[in-house]
Amino acid sequence: MDIGFLAQYLINGLMLGMIYALVAVGFTLFFGVLDVIKFSHGDVLTVGAFAGLATYLGLQAVGISNPAIQILIVVIIATTSVAGLGALIARYIVMPIRSAPPLNTLLITLMLGTVLRESVRLFYPQGANPQSFPSLLPTQSLTLGNFNLRLDNAIMLIAGVMVIVGVQFLLNRTKLGLAIRAVAQDEETAKTMGVNFTLVVLITFALGSALAAFGGVMNGLYYNEVNFGMGLLLGVIGFSSAIVGGLGNIYGAILGGFLFAGLQTIGAVSLPFASAYKDVFAFAIVIAIMAWRPTGLIQEKISERV
Amino acid sequence: METNENQTSASLWPALAGAVLTTVYVILLLKVESQTEVIGLLIVGAVAILVGTWTGHLARAGQTLAGRENILNLFVILGTLAMIGYFHEDHFILLLVATVMLYVLATLGLNLQFGYAGVLNFAGASFFGVGGYTAAVLGTHTAIPGLLIILIGGVMAALIGSMLLLPVLRTRGHYAAVVTIAFSLLFKVFLEVNDVLGGPQGLQVPGMKILGWKFNDNIEIGQNFELSFYVNYLVVILLILITAFILVRRLERSWVGLNLDALRLDETAATCFGLNIVRWKITAFLLGNFLIGVAGALSGMVIGFVAPTSFTFGDSLILVSIVLLGGIGNVWGLVVATAIVVIIPEKLQAIQEYRFLLYAAMVMLMLLFRPEGLLPRPVRQFFPGWRSK
Amino acid sequence: MNRVRLLATVAFGATIALAATVPNTTFAKDKVKVGFVGPLTGGVSANGIGGRNSADLAVRLRNKDAKAKYEYELIVQDDECKPNIGVQAATKVAADKDVIAAATHYCSAVAIATVPTYHKFGLPVVVWGAVLPAITYGNDYKEVHRVNGTMINQNQIAAKFMRSLGYKTWAVIHDTTDYGKGHNEFFSENLAKEGGKILATFGVTSDQQDFTAELTKIKELNPDAIYFGGLTPIGVRIRAQMDKLGVDSLLQGTSGIVSDAFIEGAGKLAEGTVAFREGAPTEKLPGGKFFLENYKSEKYDNPPEAYGAFAFAAMNLILDTIEKEGPDRKKVRDALNKVKGVDSIVGEISFDDHGQNTVALITKYVTQDGKWTVWEDSEYASGKRKLARQK
Repeated sequence: MDIGFLAQYLINGLMLGMIYALVAVGFTLFFGVLDVIKFSHGDVLTVGAFAGLATYLGLQAVGISNPAIQILIVVIIATTSVAGLGALIARYIVMPIRSAPPLNTLLITLMLGTVLRESVRLFYPQGANPQSFPSLLPTQSLTLGNFNLRLDNAIMLIAGVMVIVGVQFLLNRTKLGLAIRAVAQDEETAKTMGVNFTLVVLITFALGSALAAFGGVMNGLYYNEVNFGMGLLLGVIGFSSAIVGGLGNIYGAILGGFLFAGLQTIGAVSLPFASAYKDVFAFAIVIAIMAWRPTGLIQEKISERV
Repeated sequence: METNENQTSASLWPALAGAVLTTVYVILLLKVESQTEVIGLLIVGAVAILVGTWTGHLARAGQTLAGRENILNLFVILGTLAMIGYFHEDHFILLLVATVMLYVLATLGLNLQFGYAGVLNFAGASFFGVGGYTAAVLGTHTAIPGLLIILIGGVMAALIGSMLLLPVLRTRGHYAAVVTIAFSLLFKVFLEVNDVLGGPQGLQVPGMKILGWKFNDNIEIGQNFELSFYVNYLVVILLILITAFILVRRLERSWVGLNLDALRLDETAATCFGLNIVRWKITAFLLGNFLIGVAGALSGMVIGFVAPTSFTFGDSLILVSIVLLGGIGNVWGLVVATAIVVIIPEKLQAIQEYRFLLYAAMVMLMLLFRPEGLLPRPVRQFFPGWRSK
Repeated sequence: MNRVRLLATVAFGATIALAATVPNTTFAKDKVKVGFVGPLTGGVSANGIGGRNSADLAVRLRNKDAKAKYEYELIVQDDECKPNIGVQAATKVAADKDVIAAATHYCSAVAIATVPTYHKFGLPVVVWGAVLPAITYGNDYKEVHRVNGTMINQNQIAAKFMRSLGYKTWAVIHDTTDYGKGHNEFFSENLAKEGGKILATFGVTSDQQDFTAELTKIKELNPDAIYFGGLTPIGVRIRAQMDKLGVDSLLQGTSGIVSDAFIEGAGKLAEGTVAFREGAPTEKLPGGKFFLENYKSEKYDNPPEAYGAFAFAAMNLILDTIEKEGPDRKKVRDALNKVKGVDSIVGEISFDDHGQNTVALITKYVTQDGKWTVWEDSEYASGKRKLARQK
């Protein structure tokens, strides 16, 4: 196959992987810090995307039409509002039932995800229909033979990489990151050491949700479309990627995201009829991996008080 | 024992009155059409329950039945038959009643898996779909009799469930839930892209035939009296439901149930006592799936059509919500929760649109404030009537 | 039991007794219910709502008519363009003994699934928007009729026309419902007769998001045109992603994308898309002006879209038949089967032995400046503008 086409597939896969990785990192942060699987994460992404869309429409109405300013404001408002939402969720929904079995938390966040999704569908005007998302990034393309790269895809890839690197930096090189990692390792000791547990948890949730919102806006820019159901599938895929990489491990989550996208792209390319089967393929792999390594590829070290 | 003597002398009247009132109430609720009447009835119902609790009537009725579950079962069956008789011509209401009963059957299966064995199955709708598709394929392409198809539907659901056994067994708690979530999504996508099973277009399901009696024809008795064809199905469903119910109850009371309870409450302790966890988990999981599959096959025949979009993850979540709302492990809670979840949105058109939102919100509130559910499962009674004074 | 509790119990009992006397439904005797089913939510809701408004218009006009024998009530159900929801909606409408007849369905995938349901309950229906031939020709049920045409003619004309413009090679993308598969079947058949070549065929799910895999393969094959058999939401996505990947073949669609929603969704990229539809554009229909004027005066929020006129005609036909035969399902069904040469806003309606009306005219459309324009009236026909890859 022509190298140009291979490169095209590669870029497609990278874009997908980037979005999955952003969602997966969120999941893994939540799990690491509070030992919870926050299943509403995917739907938080949807809220972020719609918040971005609403911001854009608001900006249009007010008369600001410079795309560079628009995109900046859209991203800022989407991420901050959703970060606030994430913190609220942490404070009032997840933390109160921390002492209940983890299944309860899974359930409540699953239901929360449904509430978010249905709210968007019901309360956003025409929410049940797919909404077109504006192209705020320059759309010229660079064509090298059979390989076509649009400028906006390139910008999004770079932005995504920068965000992930930024998160890494935050976690490994700052005091806040140190606090987060401490809480993730051992809640009680961290508290003894003077870390403000509640604050750290709220910040972590806010951070994870902001990442999801960023992913949502990126998704909207990439497909030029948002719809109320986009979060569910992305959430499950993001979660599966996080599992595959081992919950609680950031590198694992990123690896998982790209791996998942890679699996899907390979599936779409090699199985002739099968771009449609790529989801089936991917989920089947997830189930198989969970059967083989129940706590993920990069094993979680668990100890239980018996 | 002393307490038993006290029991037999308690009068049945409160319970009987309660049963009759409930039946009348449900019939009224199903019958009325205008929205104001529906809302009015719902308010009356809510007030009635509050008043009943306050004046102690409910508690008294509950006590008289606590020791004699047979009587409760009898009342429910009679009430259902009364309902079917009253609505004998009204297709749509009978369809509603059938749907409620099928969901109860399916959630009995889910309950078995979760309430007794602690395995939460988020792919309930998928196994329901397995049953439905089995009915479609076997009904269209073979001459296997209807009842056998239903059984095979259940078996297929159990078989496909066994594919998930390995991951489910090796994982704990929320990881196991994730396996079923992944399966649920996989199932729907698989059906949609796969043309053999009809693809997104779905399949028609032929009606049931027993010994030449076609279930899809209305029953005509004499010149003027016509029974909706749904009555055929309802009788069969009722019989199967009663069987399943008895089965599950017996199981709960037996040593099998005791093992499952121990397993759910504390796996580690159970292992220490020598229980073979794996075997019991497998049993519960497969049996639960069997029941769900049977319900699905019946549902396919009643509705006459199956499609991938009938069995999405959202539908699985509804089944899970019913189990949670009704009280994990409590079968009567299931009946009440199912009735609420199925009937009220149909009647209250205004909330039809919002029903997913409402269920999810209700479950969330339930989990935050009353995790045991509407009618929480009472602590195991070793001798019926032993607990109540 | 103390006094208060006793009183409370009695009061409560009285309330229940009172409540039990509440439901007594009395209808004015000459009310007749008719049904409408269409996709009111979801990706093609614009068409469904347009159809519903049109049917509603028919009922309103009839109720204003002093000569009408009955007062009509329109029962509306949403089928969400999903077969299983459609079967539920159909069951609801058909199981209600008071509904005499219904105008049903825009989505072919739904219409074909509900045919057995309507037959089971004996409800006569007139289809207003679904084009799959099997809906009327696939069965011998007396209950099913259709006023709009089928996709057979559409694809015959499409193949001939596109070949006459010089297009030689195609790639086909179709959705995997019976609608998309039907289009694929008929177009491939007719194209083969005209000597065109299909380089590849791709089936996609009706809610698929990402077409980069299919489009990248299509880019490799480099066909002159891409034939798309499916509905507006996917059409919009395919057009947008074609641009992303630099695929410059012409996009040729079917009646499924002839809607304002396509142009809104695809924006500037919609320019120069070709599609075909049976029937004349609403303004050019015999009763078109009358319909559009009345539609406007009712001030509906949404336009009638491409098939609104057919929904109106279907509902009118039903109402006329009920006026003549009375509110009896069997009589209405038999009368509908005998319809020949009846006038309507879409022209003369005659049902053949399968209940199918013949709509001979196929209109060729091209998008120009944000509107679906009839080909002959467009600047593409006169040569002022050129389609992608036009020879």
